[in-house]
Amino acid sequence: MDLVLLGELLSSLMFFGIIGFLMLGFPVAFTLAGVSLLFGLLGWGLGVFDPSNFGSLPNRYIGFMSNEVLVAVPLFIFMGVMLEKSGIAEQLLLTMSKLFGNLRGGLGLSVVLVGAMLAASTGVVGATVVTMGLISLPAMLRAGYDPKLATGVISASGTLGQIIPPSTVLIFMGDMLSGINAQVQMEKGNFAPVPVSVGDLFTGALLPGLLLVGLYASYVIFKAITDPASCPATPVPPEERSGLLREVAVALIPPLLLILAVLGSILGGIATPTEAASVGAVGAMVLAALRWRMSFSILTQTVVATATITSMVFIILFGASVFSIVFRLMGGDNLVHAVLTSLPGGAMTAMVVVMLMMFVLGFILDSFEIIFIVIPITAPVLLALDIDPIWLGVMVGVNLQTSFLTPPFGFALFYLRGVAPDSLPTSAIYRGIIPFVILQFIAIILLFVFPQIVLWLPRG
Amino acid sequence: MHAMAAIVRVIGALNAVIGRVMSWLALGIVIACFTVVVQRYLFGVSYLWLRDLYIWLNGAMFTGVAGFALARGDHVRVDIFYRPASVRRKAVIDLFGVLVFLLPFMVVVVVYSWPFVTRSWSYWEGSSNVGGMPGLFVLKSFIIVFSVLVALQGIAMALRAVLVLADREHLLPEHLRYPPNVAAAVHTPGETGQEGTL
Repeated sequence: MDLVLLGELLSSLMFFGIIGFLMLGFPVAFTLAGVSLLFGLLGWGLGVFDPSNFGSLPNRYIGFMSNEVLVAVPLFIFMGVMLEKSGIAEQLLLTMSKLFGNLRGGLGLSVVLVGAMLAASTGVVGATVVTMGLISLPAMLRAGYDPKLATGVISASGTLGQIIPPSTVLIFMGDMLSGINAQVQMEKGNFAPVPVSVGDLFTGALLPGLLLVGLYASYVIFKAITDPASCPATPVPPEERSGLLREVAVALIPPLLLILAVLGSILGGIATPTEAASVGAVGAMVLAALRWRMSFSILTQTVVATATITSMVFIILFGASVFSIVFRLMGGDNLVHAVLTSLPGGAMTAMVVVMLMMFVLGFILDSFEIIFIVIPITAPVLLALDIDPIWLGVMVGVNLQTSFLTPPFGFALFYLRGVAPDSLPTSAIYRGIIPFVILQFIAIILLFVFPQIVLWLPRG
Repeated sequence: MHAMAAIVRVIGALNAVIGRVMSWLALGIVIACFTVVVQRYLFGVSYLWLRDLYIWLNGAMFTGVAGFALARGDHVRVDIFYRPASVRRKAVIDLFGVLVFLLPFMVVVVVYSWPFVTRSWSYWEGSSNVGGMPGLFVLKSFIIVFSVLVALQGIAMALRAVLVLADREHLLPEHLRYPPNVAAAVHTPGETGQEGTL
């Protein structure tokens, strides 16, 4: 058999082999690397892979370990975890729901708004869904909300952290796309390409993020008008209302200012994401201290959570590097290139195919794994086809956020199921998310047809 | 069997100590990076070594706590089938995964990184930035530290699996055993140590 063909065959088998072995449930980072090594060994035996190529591994690893842009990841995680562990996120939710409680659909709206705010302070999806599931879900059910609406709005709003800056997924994607873009432009003979940065990706994701917030809020308002029984008002007792203004000033304004300052300095181009993130992390500690919620125990919990979450994500990147090396050197890249460039309909079809593939992978893998595997092998082709890297990055973000929500394997749904009362049937969670998934598809189609929504701010 | 249980305990304790200590580098990153920001925006000065410092602290942190994260079960799994599986089945999967995936991976990393790291030590390599940090060789060594700590934790995982399969899991203290399979606690980030995905 032709060696080129054999290599391409092996690399595609490896891709599906990885998916299969991942289903066993062994940690993803190690399965990715282990299966790739097995295929590398096979390829070595068949003469299509040279293991000396692993010599580039340490260079890649030290590259991740000394990457300034990626330091924004632990810093933003620190900020988000601190806000959560110190109870600031919880307080935000309680205050917001009092503020809107008098309205029909008010609790639902407050979930959307707090989801957006927590997303803008990092948005650890699991933690956000759990916090809202523990606080807002019981409140909404007590108030007589339709469980479908209550669970749907929590799952959807909880995943906003994937797309609303400073999303950690976008940080990794921005770092990867900036490197790939520079290389692709160089190969095309464009020696002075317009660089793409994490900041650009954040700026591009802002309007799409707000679009989603707007869509969710509109849906809640729509329900409040057409189906008032599904989301009754929860009047605040008068004795609590008098103190509400003070509560808003204490619980709502300071975190809001912190978030605006951090995001504003990135989007305004004043500070890099990493610099702004460190200010956010210090700000979160100050807020916690001002509320007497700062203690050695909270700080310990925060650093341990920050370090282990960061480690988990970066080690997946380590494992994915092994995959990339084996896949590329066995000719998988050429295969992907050949397939994506031979599609009828050109760049847009290629884009649709890649998006569909990521969406399907999203049923079993989470965002980091998908971008670490798929972006290095497909983005070079897509960017060479003149697809805008900022648009690509944001589309991938919204796409993966959607796959967090789709039954039966949506991660957000699992998290919510974990904290929802047993009396709430799982089917309510699955059915409740349907309207929000439809809204996601509307958003994706809008972004696809009108890329200006993404590109206007960063490119304008 | 008792010896195996003892090894699991020792490795678990080692990674717990290293992990908990190295987690504090997270605070170090925050402080160092914030200091750089204050110096740059308020005083108009910048020290490249301080910039190198917070970047390197991140590299050392996430490699150093990887074994601890593995012990805590923080490394994400595709758990559609794993989560509801019986403890014995989980043990089989873990044993297989460690022997076929994890240990070969760590061996490959050590083998291919060793010359890279020793070369760096041979000339006390520092930052490539003028005025940067000395001691890049220390950071590079963390690739080896990472592999060794994760491999050790992998060995502990495998031994625990063997104990389970030999019906000797009771030799391990509670916190080192498989967490009980409570149907309601399917995926509660934070409570099981699993902080959840981002």
